[in-house]
Amino acid sequence: MLEKILFQTLIGLSFSMYLWLLASGLTLVFGVLGVLNFAHGSLFMLGAYATFTFYGKLGLNFWVSIALSLISVGVIGAVLERLFIRRIYEIDLPYQLILTFGFILIFDDLVKMIWGGVAMIPPMPRFFEGNLSILGRAFPIYNLFIIFAGLAVAIVLWLLLERTWWGRMIRASASDREMASAIGINIPFLFTTVFVLSAMLAALGGALGTPVRVVAPGIGTAMIIQAFVITVIGGLGNLKGAFVGALIVGILTSYGILLFPIFELFIIFVVMAAVLMVKPEGLFGK
Amino acid sequence: MSKKITRRKFLKSAVMGGVALGTGLGGYRVTYGQAKKPAGPIKIGGQGAISGAHADYGWQMMAGSTMAIEQINAKGGILGRKLELKFMDEELKPATAVKNARYLATDWGADFLFGVDSSGSAMAIGPVLPELNRLFFFTHAATHRLTEELVYQKGIKQIFRLVAPVYQDALAAWVFKDNPEIKRWAGINCDYEYGYVAWNLFKENIRKFRPDVEFVAAAWAPFWTMDFSSHISAVMAEKPDAIFATPWAGEGVMLLRQALMLGVFDKIQAWWQGMGGSVDLLEGVSREIEGDKFKGKLWATARYIHNYPVSPENKAFVEAFRKRWGRFPNYSAEGSYSTIYAIKAGAEKAKTLETGKVGAALEGMELNTPGGMRLIRKEDHQAVYTVPAGRAMKSPDYTIPILGDLKVIPAKDYFRQPPFTPVAATK
Repeated sequence: MLEKILFQTLIGLSFSMYLWLLASGLTLVFGVLGVLNFAHGSLFMLGAYATFTFYGKLGLNFWVSIALSLISVGVIGAVLERLFIRRIYEIDLPYQLILTFGFILIFDDLVKMIWGGVAMIPPMPRFFEGNLSILGRAFPIYNLFIIFAGLAVAIVLWLLLERTWWGRMIRASASDREMASAIGINIPFLFTTVFVLSAMLAALGGALGTPVRVVAPGIGTAMIIQAFVITVIGGLGNLKGAFVGALIVGILTSYGILLFPIFELFIIFVVMAAVLMVKPEGLFGK
Repeated sequence: MSKKITRRKFLKSAVMGGVALGTGLGGYRVTYGQAKKPAGPIKIGGQGAISGAHADYGWQMMAGSTMAIEQINAKGGILGRKLELKFMDEELKPATAVKNARYLATDWGADFLFGVDSSGSAMAIGPVLPELNRLFFFTHAATHRLTEELVYQKGIKQIFRLVAPVYQDALAAWVFKDNPEIKRWAGINCDYEYGYVAWNLFKENIRKFRPDVEFVAAAWAPFWTMDFSSHISAVMAEKPDAIFATPWAGEGVMLLRQALMLGVFDKIQAWWQGMGGSVDLLEGVSREIEGDKFKGKLWATARYIHNYPVSPENKAFVEAFRKRWGRFPNYSAEGSYSTIYAIKAGAEKAKTLETGKVGAALEGMELNTPGGMRLIRKEDHQAVYTVPAGRAMKSPDYTIPILGDLKVIPAKDYFRQPPFTPVAATK
């Protein structure tokens, strides 16, 4: 039994890392910009489509495809922030909701116009095929790669925010926008860079899924609900919270499928409700 | 970090957003065909999933029905009138499907309705049909309750189903009953009615042949599951001999690929992929089948297979379809194609388009279709025809994989018969 649970933990861990990539950008934009970006899932979807196009259609190298996809979605993110998101920083949350929700519909329809509605699955890169023996069972190399990629992103983000000048500026403007501006921080430019980083994180999540997952309109919205659950559990705008929240949701979902298959689907919502009752600001919220 | 937005406001917006996601996405609508014209074509309103991971099924319905309509129109139509098609997205949502059916029948003025991929959508549309007074030909939704409960028990005569229901998925019981080495079965099934019924029917039937089999694990995957590794690893923990799986379309492809990554085919004797004989799935795992990654252990059926039956009708259909669309037809294409011809046969026999008369004309009718002889059973309006099961393999005669080593079991053996004993539609 213990072995079953350990193996399932590893599987759940790889699932958590997809969720973390999505939730990290969502919570970053909320924490720094104060914007609740419902279209975050669309950026995830665009990352998947871009990678599919570069890798699956044009036959470019897998890593080059991912890099190109991050750049493309980053550019889209910059345009979005400069032209639209910037205008709603100062107004009420419901307007943010309407604007960003509108983008979900626009991106889903754009994707259908460009790539069609049919689900597509790109080929798997050869070096990811195969598996390792862990606890006497076969564990996919790809899932192992995802776990390391997720951890690497967590470390890089932490270093960026805690150890760089840029990170200090971000923390300063997140805690007091006016004061930061007064001491000469270029807030508009800083916010664009944060939004671009968030878009690239979403795109990375989408890109890393392409070899094993389906690319279809709607994959972003399918994931975004879980990402919201994670940010609520972890604490809004808190990166550490998003990481822990992703671990909880991913691993509990995986346990649920093994141990309570009949009602696995609402386990994470029970956890969310419990967190809201005991610590309404989230596990790491202030 | 930010103090401007309180937690309460955030949650409120998150809920609003959730509601908007749920309802707003229902707003897409894709339509085909032309606007209403004063001159009188016979109007046929279809709907299927044309967005998301299952979108190929709606496309195939559209392709099959469009081709049949073009052929019939080229020969003068039905009762001297041309046919016109409008096709909508049901989004696998019952509420959308009912709204579509109402719109097509009342606003657009459809004479006949067809389509629907989701069983939930089919069960929601069924009870509305007497009020709409239109025949609805279901071309994919597979729940047994549509014909057993709504037609046979409740007498909703407007429902017809031209394609094989979930009985087809349970064919695995006949395929594997003579394999004594396969005793431990596990299921990875859709977390909705289709998955529940397929798994229950399979268990019920194989138990009759093989009292010694055990059902060691069951995992359930809802629509939009993208990562099946937890499901696969959960059932593999119980060391099954064989796996019975129902996720279909893009989800089926992902499931099989992820199973390969988890080394499942080194451990098990057989994998049954219910609707794995569908073209999109065979295309999706074509490279893996060619590379013999499944080691010949992947078995499947479908509601029609492009390489069966070997008949002039099927050959002509597949060739015409490939010429028209550049792809092979799957079962929802063949089912929709045959549906349009069933409408023709019914209307011509009744010499009218009146719902009651066309329905009565179709009862007990035998139709020669690409998928073989279909008998439209009088009691439950279910078309009875045989579709074999087979092993997924490459054939020199086809550009995509086929089901080979066919096991042909007559439909009368594995189709349930009236009066129907109840089957649970729950986990």
